[in-house]
Amino acid sequence: MQGQNPRKNISRADKVRRKYKYVDRSFILFLLTSFQVISFTPVIFGGEAIDYTVAGLLLIYILFEWLYVGFMRAVVKKVNFELEFIAFFLSGIGLCLQASVEPSGMLKQLITVAGGVIVYDILLWFIMDVKRVMFVRTPLAVFALLFLAGSFVYIRQFVGAINGAYNWLAFKGFSIQPSEFVKIAFIFVGAATLDKLVTAKNIYMYVLFSMGCIGVLFLMKDFGTALIFFFTFIVISFMRSGDIRTIIFICAAALIGAVLIIYFRPHVAARFAAYRHVWEDVYGAGYQQTRVLIYAVSGGLFGLGVGNGALRNVYAATTDLVFGLVCEEMGIFIAFSVVLAFAFIAIYAVISSKSAPSTFYSIAACSAAAMLLFQICLNIFGITDLLPLTGVTLPFVSQGGSSMICSWALFAFIKSADIRAYPTLYKT
Amino acid sequence: MRNTTKRTYIIIFLIIAFFAGLGIMLYSFISEGDTWVANRANALIYKGGELTVAGTIYDSDGEILVSTEKGKRQYNSNYNKRVSTLHVVGDSAGYIATGVQTLYRSNLIGYNFVDGIYKTLSSDEGVDIKLTIDADVCAEAYSAMAGKKGTVIVYNYETGQVICMVSAPTYDPNNKPADINTNTSGKYDGIYMNRAISGVFTPGSTFKVVTAICAIENIPDIYSRKFKCTGKKTFGKGDVICNGVHGTLTFERALNVSCNSVFSELANEVGKDKLTETVRALGFGKNVTISKAKTVRSTFDVSESTKLDLGWAGIGQYTTLVNPSQMLMLMGAIANSGKAMVPYIVEESSEIVDSKNKVNSSIKLSEETAAKVKKLLRSNVKNYYSDNKFPGLEMCGKTGSAEVSNGKSHAWFVGFSNKKNFPYAIVVCLENGGLGYTHAIPVANRVMQKVFKEVS
Repeated sequence: MQGQNPRKNISRADKVRRKYKYVDRSFILFLLTSFQVISFTPVIFGGEAIDYTVAGLLLIYILFEWLYVGFMRAVVKKVNFELEFIAFFLSGIGLCLQASVEPSGMLKQLITVAGGVIVYDILLWFIMDVKRVMFVRTPLAVFALLFLAGSFVYIRQFVGAINGAYNWLAFKGFSIQPSEFVKIAFIFVGAATLDKLVTAKNIYMYVLFSMGCIGVLFLMKDFGTALIFFFTFIVISFMRSGDIRTIIFICAAALIGAVLIIYFRPHVAARFAAYRHVWEDVYGAGYQQTRVLIYAVSGGLFGLGVGNGALRNVYAATTDLVFGLVCEEMGIFIAFSVVLAFAFIAIYAVISSKSAPSTFYSIAACSAAAMLLFQICLNIFGITDLLPLTGVTLPFVSQGGSSMICSWALFAFIKSADIRAYPTLYKT
Repeated sequence: MRNTTKRTYIIIFLIIAFFAGLGIMLYSFISEGDTWVANRANALIYKGGELTVAGTIYDSDGEILVSTEKGKRQYNSNYNKRVSTLHVVGDSAGYIATGVQTLYRSNLIGYNFVDGIYKTLSSDEGVDIKLTIDADVCAEAYSAMAGKKGTVIVYNYETGQVICMVSAPTYDPNNKPADINTNTSGKYDGIYMNRAISGVFTPGSTFKVVTAICAIENIPDIYSRKFKCTGKKTFGKGDVICNGVHGTLTFERALNVSCNSVFSELANEVGKDKLTETVRALGFGKNVTISKAKTVRSTFDVSESTKLDLGWAGIGQYTTLVNPSQMLMLMGAIANSGKAMVPYIVEESSEIVDSKNKVNSSIKLSEETAAKVKKLLRSNVKNYYSDNKFPGLEMCGKTGSAEVSNGKSHAWFVGFSNKKNFPYAIVVCLENGGLGYTHAIPVANRVMQKVFKEVS
């Protein structure tokens, strides 16, 4: 299949578009950074004195965006930047809210954005050679599983539960979320394994790896992430096998498992007891969800303005609840644009997977997009009480380095399916 | 490869599910947003449990009843006006559940889906509401009640517009008593309740109007009958004691003097079923909504009663409890040719479409009966209480002194003016206030005179 001529897939529309590409790119980047300047204005000038630190960091971020795009275009000869622009847009919103709620955290957040971009480009470069991918997949699977299990043991022993889950690996003043990094390996291993000729051993190894990851996540009591892994596992298995019956069988088995867990471990169910009953316990179990709903609509379509909201005073406002914060302060319009962006990324992944240079990229792109979109669903529908609240983050926008780096890395998988990402293949 | 790309439809499913979820979310934002925003947990508009940012509430003359000043709700500067309108206006913390500030808070805070409450917060004021009540009349009613608990309601029986609704005990919202929740002397009993809407009381003789309606509709020769009152009426082993020894008297005269003997006898003559039928047909037992505030149901149940009990029920005692607004609507129906207008408190505006000009369909009274009862009620005032008690008002009505287990009787007056271009009905109910004739009539007169002055 790899012998297919990628040039065939370049449509006429593409050719026309390419003519105007240079203008388009600068113009879009100009709009993007203008939006950032506007959204940061109340943060910089809203206080009693002008906040020069935030202004400086914003300037660095904007310069970084322009230099990155310029460098990638001129030196690396990249031709398209749709994903990067979306990631910059989302990261910018996260940075702005971070600067507004907790200015001291902005530098850290900015560093993780830069880290994310670096991880993105290295990963993209790395997976562009399928041989390299095949070479590392087994060691990576083993390492990822050991890392996750080891983290769990370490956290149990030395850190303890944070918000009821053992998913934060904390050192002195520095903490990471191991499951976020394992997400990258999960897509990597899943897509790579299945690119090879199907052998029974291959499948068993992959199922074993997946169940291992999901099992540890369950032990960590990180049910949200466990669910994301499970869903991604389903997507990868289905794309690989096309066997809908097996998928239904797996889902049924999982459902029975979930019922058994709830039956034998009622405290797990108790965590979700407030679901659909949040207004009955506004000051208890429904605290976060009701606040999100109250403040999300308080801002209307165009928001109260950054810094004028009240959700920022609620715990986890810049992490799990950030969608509500965007609704309240930037407006439902921008908040919906943010989440719709992920739907468009999923569509983009589906379209580009059809012309991907290899099945590995098709599956990697689709499963990464599905993982992101599924996580968005758990996040925004969880905090608005349409689904049970599981405590997962909104990729790019939520505060947190692990999530930021993982989100960028997942974008590398999505990008890898786009034929235009391969300058050597993509030349007129 | 081709198979793999085909299988991407699993992602399409996810995308569709995502869009469906977003649709549901948006729908719930649009349909439920106003309730969410008005929740007391909204720190943007509630500080320390009190509403801070909201529109101004005006009375019918445009006088400010409450408005936001420097992030605090400030009530009318006149003490009597603010305490007498408190139960209609409602308090800032929402203890008065039927208050306009509570029931209309999503309007007052100026919420709409497009702007949220941005405009309200940026201007520090929300959407204003105009009420139908007149603070001058309310203040007059409050001072006429002279510290007694109870309620006074006056409304235009042709339109339903409430001009006066006062409930006591009340308190000063600008300076809330510190012991309001701890004082056990009883002076603050039910202080957060608007008695006009949420109260029920033993009706006493005012209920004879209902028994009279039942008799008119079920006893063909009622007007030609002669009744005898010996000071009591015996049913089996017990007596219904009358307020006097009235001798021989007609139906009209029996209502004038409020003869217990006659009305307890009439109740037994029509019987449980007919009396219950009339009570139901007059809307007792159903609630109505007065500008979003649901009234409490009146109760009447004679299913287990003995003849003696039924006799007591016929004169408004026994287990019967009525809501003052229900009595007001009954008066409205009698005055307005059988059509009972539902009272309303909040004037309509572009934001508020209310229950203006609504007829209470649960009150079924024929035009013919209404005219007959009106004549009887007019006769009460003209031939018994005397028109001097209501100079120039051409009043119709009925007093009541409802016996209660604790303390003095409740003093009632229910009635309306029959004067041209003055279509107002009134209910006065003073808890343990004494006799209706001596205590409720003077209050009713003072308030009606004030209303007359204000509207003409």
